[in-house]
Amino acid sequence: MIVAELKPLKEIAASVAEYRKILVLGCGSCVTVCLSGGERETQQLTRELLRSGLFGGKLPVFESGTVIRQCEKDLVETYQQVPPDTEAILSLACGCGVQTVADTFEPLPVIPALNTTFYGASNEAGVWREVCQGCGDCVLSHTGSICPVARCAKSLFNGPCGGSQNGRCEIFTDNPCAWAMIYYRLKKQNKLHLLHEVHAPRDWQPAGGAGPRVRIRTGIGGSPQK
Amino acid sequence: MSYFKVNENCNGCLACVQNCPACALSYEDEAVSRTLRHNMTLCARCGQCWRVCPQDAIEFQHLLQSAWDDVVTLDIVRCSVCDEVLYTDAYGEHVQERLQKEVEPRCPKHQEEFSRLARAHFQTEKKA
Repeated sequence: MIVAELKPLKEIAASVAEYRKILVLGCGSCVTVCLSGGERETQQLTRELLRSGLFGGKLPVFESGTVIRQCEKDLVETYQQVPPDTEAILSLACGCGVQTVADTFEPLPVIPALNTTFYGASNEAGVWREVCQGCGDCVLSHTGSICPVARCAKSLFNGPCGGSQNGRCEIFTDNPCAWAMIYYRLKKQNKLHLLHEVHAPRDWQPAGGAGPRVRIRTGIGGSPQK
Repeated sequence: MSYFKVNENCNGCLACVQNCPACALSYEDEAVSRTLRHNMTLCARCGQCWRVCPQDAIEFQHLLQSAWDDVVTLDIVRCSVCDEVLYTDAYGEHVQERLQKEVEPRCPKHQEEFSRLARAHFQTEKKA
């Protein structure tokens, strides 16, 4: 799931200070689930901006709302209205949502209120950790479902580096060594032989080195008429 | 159809309401009673209510697995020969309007038989 975090209030206020009427728009999907940009955070941010004292007496008018998913243009343009005289949208979606809303309502400025950070999973309530980097060539079948791209600080593919100490990463000492985890996982699965398999050198182009990626799925019907 | 269900442990503390990130839970206090309310269209099924409830009162499984709701019931048209379901009345009318002609409802097998017989008959007539 996409994880994002609210930007510092000062930064948000500065980025919208020039506008007199702003729509604060939350998103009902990923950012709701990671407690960063859902309806509750949208209302909270609107309240905090109003009483922040960061607008030097020229307080903008704020309206707020939430879209179920900001990252789908046909949904946004059909079901989200922009109040008249709105000068900018402050979006609490991830970067996908911010850009889609900007494409939908261009040339209206759409300002991000969040920093989109990573693909995360949650093993305990309230904690999301980066476990996937969308590298486009998944090797989890070889590594006991533990990702060496995302979870090894050096994204090594051939086992731990010499700095792996007591199962800890030498770079980020709070983190476990991904390859230690891979070893112990494969051991539990009786699949340590997988570590002896030789694979061709990895092509990193699917990981984004060849430009913005696209997935096209045909035969699903077009966007509904407005 | 309600997907959000609580068991008898619910004591109306409103922890779920206060913590719902989608504001999909609310409540109404009247003379002597409090009603907990849920909005399925806002609910992201994130499970925060289920996690935060101090009484373990939320039966989250009903948000994950539930009965089917009937959406719409329409009249259907069946093959005039073998009774196989073909299409709805409404769809049949729609197609016939676009084709600008009436179509006898036949399944592919009986339509093929009919066409074959019609062709054979036509050829016989031609020879005659």
